[in-house]
Amino acid sequence: MKTYIVQRLLIALLTLLGMSMVIFVLLRLAPGDIVDILFATAGYISPSEKQAIMKELGIDRPYVIQYLDWLHQIVTGDLGKSYRYDLPAWEVIRPLVPVTLELAALSMVFAVLLGLPAGVVSAVRQDTTLDYLLRVFSLAGLAMPSFWLGMVIILGLVTWLAWIPPLTYVSPTKDLKLHAIQFLLPALAVGYRSSALIMRITRSSLLEVMREDYIRTAWAKGQTGRIVIWRHALKNALLPVVTVIGIEFAFLIGGLVVTETVFNLPGVARFLVQAILWRDYPVVQNLVMFTAIVVILSNLIVDMLYGVLDPRVRYGG
Amino acid sequence: MTRSRALPLLGVLILVFSTLTLATPAQTQTPKSGRTLNIMLREDLSQGFAIHESSTISTVFPAAPCFNNLVQFDPAKPIESTDTIVGDLAEKWSWQDNYRNLVFFLRKNVKWHDGKPFSSKDVKFTFDMLREGPDAPAKLRINPRKDWYANVEAVEAPDPNTVVFRLKRAQPSLLSMLASGYTPIYAAHIPPANYRTTCVGTGPFKVKEWRKGEYLDYAKNPDYFIKGRPYLDGLHYVVIVERGTRTAALQAGQLDVAFPGETTKAAAEQLKKAVPKLVVTPVGTAVTDNIIMNSKKPPFDNPKVRLAVSYAIDRKGLIQAVHQGAGVPGAAMAPRPYGVWGMADKDLLALPGYGQPADMKAKAKKLLAESGVAQPIRVEMVTRAIAVYVDMASFVINELKQVGIDATLKQIETAQWHAMATRGDYQIGANLTGLGVDDPDANLYENFACGSPRNYSFYCDEHVTKMIDQQSQELDPKRRLGIVVTIQKKLEEDAARPVLDHRIDYFTFWPHVKGLVPHHNIYNFARMQDVWSDK
Amino acid sequence: MAVRPAAIAVPAGARPHSGVWTILARFVRKKPLGAAGGVLMALMVLTAIFADVLQTHDPIATNAAYTLGSPNLEHWLGTDHLGRDIYSRIVHGARVSLVVGVASTLLGSVLGGIIGLLSGYIGGKTDLITQRILDILQGLPLLVLALVMSAALGPSVQNVVIAISIPIIPRAARVIRSSVLSIREMQYVEAARSLGVQHLRVAFRHILPNTIGPFIVLCTAQLGSAILVEATLSYLGLGVPEPYPSWGRMLSVSAAEYAQKAPHLVLFPGIAISLAVFGSNLLGDALRDTLDPRLRGS
Repeated sequence: MKTYIVQRLLIALLTLLGMSMVIFVLLRLAPGDIVDILFATAGYISPSEKQAIMKELGIDRPYVIQYLDWLHQIVTGDLGKSYRYDLPAWEVIRPLVPVTLELAALSMVFAVLLGLPAGVVSAVRQDTTLDYLLRVFSLAGLAMPSFWLGMVIILGLVTWLAWIPPLTYVSPTKDLKLHAIQFLLPALAVGYRSSALIMRITRSSLLEVMREDYIRTAWAKGQTGRIVIWRHALKNALLPVVTVIGIEFAFLIGGLVVTETVFNLPGVARFLVQAILWRDYPVVQNLVMFTAIVVILSNLIVDMLYGVLDPRVRYGG
Repeated sequence: MTRSRALPLLGVLILVFSTLTLATPAQTQTPKSGRTLNIMLREDLSQGFAIHESSTISTVFPAAPCFNNLVQFDPAKPIESTDTIVGDLAEKWSWQDNYRNLVFFLRKNVKWHDGKPFSSKDVKFTFDMLREGPDAPAKLRINPRKDWYANVEAVEAPDPNTVVFRLKRAQPSLLSMLASGYTPIYAAHIPPANYRTTCVGTGPFKVKEWRKGEYLDYAKNPDYFIKGRPYLDGLHYVVIVERGTRTAALQAGQLDVAFPGETTKAAAEQLKKAVPKLVVTPVGTAVTDNIIMNSKKPPFDNPKVRLAVSYAIDRKGLIQAVHQGAGVPGAAMAPRPYGVWGMADKDLLALPGYGQPADMKAKAKKLLAESGVAQPIRVEMVTRAIAVYVDMASFVINELKQVGIDATLKQIETAQWHAMATRGDYQIGANLTGLGVDDPDANLYENFACGSPRNYSFYCDEHVTKMIDQQSQELDPKRRLGIVVTIQKKLEEDAARPVLDHRIDYFTFWPHVKGLVPHHNIYNFARMQDVWSDK
Repeated sequence: MAVRPAAIAVPAGARPHSGVWTILARFVRKKPLGAAGGVLMALMVLTAIFADVLQTHDPIATNAAYTLGSPNLEHWLGTDHLGRDIYSRIVHGARVSLVVGVASTLLGSVLGGIIGLLSGYIGGKTDLITQRILDILQGLPLLVLALVMSAALGPSVQNVVIAISIPIIPRAARVIRSSVLSIREMQYVEAARSLGVQHLRVAFRHILPNTIGPFIVLCTAQLGSAILVEATLSYLGLGVPEPYPSWGRMLSVSAAEYAQKAPHLVLFPGIAISLAVFGSNLLGDALRDTLDPRLRGS
């Protein structure tokens, strides 16, 4: 077990290193840099002034040097300076992180609360009208663009209630009710989507397990249906579900970008898009690395859980 | 009453009614102190409060409450001209030596937001820095309006309350440029780079908090040099990138004031229908749609081809199709009542693109045939990858197709636009130009003088450049107007940078917002000094 | 536990001489949802092919006289802020969404499939390194990756296809690889190898045909996702450029702004996107259930 963990950690670190290289190169592939954008806001461009600013920001140095510099910064915990705001990147990102984390967490909670029971019911009542209805409902969730769902929600609110959720972050300590509404609506929009996936996985995984011999044996032995399901089937069916939840959490970032934009939530995802448009390399690099770490971490945790839940993995792998 | 009698009477009634509703409201009510206004921002501040290092309304509009100018355009009057210039930090001023020296007598007892006293030293600092004088105390990283001060020989501060601008030659326009929202006064004791993150000004509001990408909060400046102002306790600028959410917020009352230049006619109609009491004011924006053509490269090095392009584009059609009527035709300077230097309607009608569309297109085809360039002409049109540019470009491409010019559209990302245009890496482009002040000097030198870096068409006519210099020094206003009109006419006849229209904004705010008078220029009414809330 | 034989691409219980119609009829009866999905997809393909015939107006022709118009007899789904007919734009948008969706899915799936096939078959160090590289690609948020690529490559149809196909590659590689891994251990493969059959031949002759099933399932699953990503990119302004009408771009900028006055601006393009993705997901599910019951859990 210990070698397994160490092995996974090493692989994770190497993967992260590879990711940092990809992010670094990819960003600089996009034409134009921060200086071009700065001049764009000034309405002109001057090559001599551009050179001076590039020197000031340190982006006139060879790429390799800049990359190593960045790595050095990460290791020492310095997240660099935002090119756009002239402030430490962490200072700019810090207030945004709790918003996105909370939104992501709430969305996952919704997703699981909606998806898991739906999946179970659907599997147990396979091929009945209820099953079809649930499947259609969840597939609709997968089919709708999340930004569209958000737009429709806001449109509905303005038309029927002449009201929209607050535009700037309302802290839970200041007004819990308003804060709740502010986060619930977008969490629902995002969570609906994720719930669809979870529902499908739960359903198919449960169906698969229910066909297994040892389940059939339990049936045959006369154990009452529900106990069979809960004790045997669900426990084994949950494995792929956990995997999906882990992966979904990381992929939420994509859905969060548009949802945060539409609902005007000051989160990391929305900020990331702006930073990319501004070629604010330090901010983008660090944010993407952050999401990469979250992804790798969740993969790692899922792997660990596999190790715990599935004995076959523990001794071999 | 017969119809022939009723119509004129109706016309008079409409005139009277519209005059009453559009006239600047006299202070019929007593302003109340207190309250905070929620104001729309379409994006976060670009360079913080460093107005001198930027040219975008996204910086000027939210940063203005922090600052003062030497002089300003009367906040209560929508139209701006030398006649509406009133004092800000300067109490009195006078031209001397036949408009070669400009003396300002500054207010006393003005304090910077950090408590330090304001004096002529700060004014000298600001303008020495802006004109990049030889002993400039500081240097701006980016200096877009350096050329506004090309004619300033020296700035002297003989005593703490007097400033003298010594010019190389007469230039009456200097005063207007100093009144523009682009010309606030920086503090001499603050490094200019600091303005990118915080703001130390003399203005009616102090920066309380700037949450990047989210909002900007101002609090009332209790030591403001005008007693009793500002009326408001604070300003809350909210960043909303999504257009739909912006409109919804204004409609739901979460925002009190719209962002200048961002409310289309259709949006305003929709808002007014949902909330009839909203105040909607059509104002000029000092922004023009125009066509840039690279006169150094074929096929637009051929003046007949350029002129054909100008003839082909139906100006009125564009205003209707792209802006649903929210625009006015005009040449390089804004027409009345939006500006005072524009060409009169009857003169405009004689210009390319203003007559009957069919006739104009026929003329265009004839010009192309005469030009000697092989038909059909295939070109690539560039525009910025922003919807408002793309809509305009699409219309233009459609017009050009009808006269035998096949244009494909290429969208250029913001980061590359100016570099591409300055280098001349394009053939034809659909462009927008914003003017900080309705003044020929501010517009003509930058966009049409030989060799100016922002003369993206590379247009160079010695005679026109001479005329631009001539009008800049002309002291008689009537004669000056005459020269400016002649220049505009020549520019359109040469198809230097055909102007398609001047945009109109349907500036919207809630009725409880009082004292806010939008100007026919988006950059110059943002101080919020006399605004109050009746809620 | 018994090892299940690789599934063959024939629905269970089909008789050897059944005509196409009989197979279809059986499919409709057994998987009504999948059939519905198939109908939706067929509708979309037909709309895309016959867009020029189905349109009522030129999709890029503006009409200043009737902007933000409600649906009426002349403009079945209304007009947008420039007076363009929404129905015609949606019809042509099908072409864009389908072409971009299919192209990027195929490109990504084929590339990823080849990588997965080789990686899974060769195994060992190559496999390990390839897996890590794929991990890296997959670890980057899909939208961010597409965003940066779009900015890097510039707006054009080809570049959007490439940008969307890149995140698909690791997913495709993963699915094909796991399929290959299980087939590789099959006895008939061992038999072929012991007979001295070349590696490449084994890979392409024996293993590849048996990955077709999972490959088809993968493609249909990714198609829906590709259509969504294209819509999102277009919405953010980074997708297919003018003048090609794109459902996603129809929702950006003006649609939400005028939504109150003209809700059809927001509703119809969104419904179109949803139906297309819905159809492809339904069809994909049904295909998966029929072609490879083992993959039901993935």
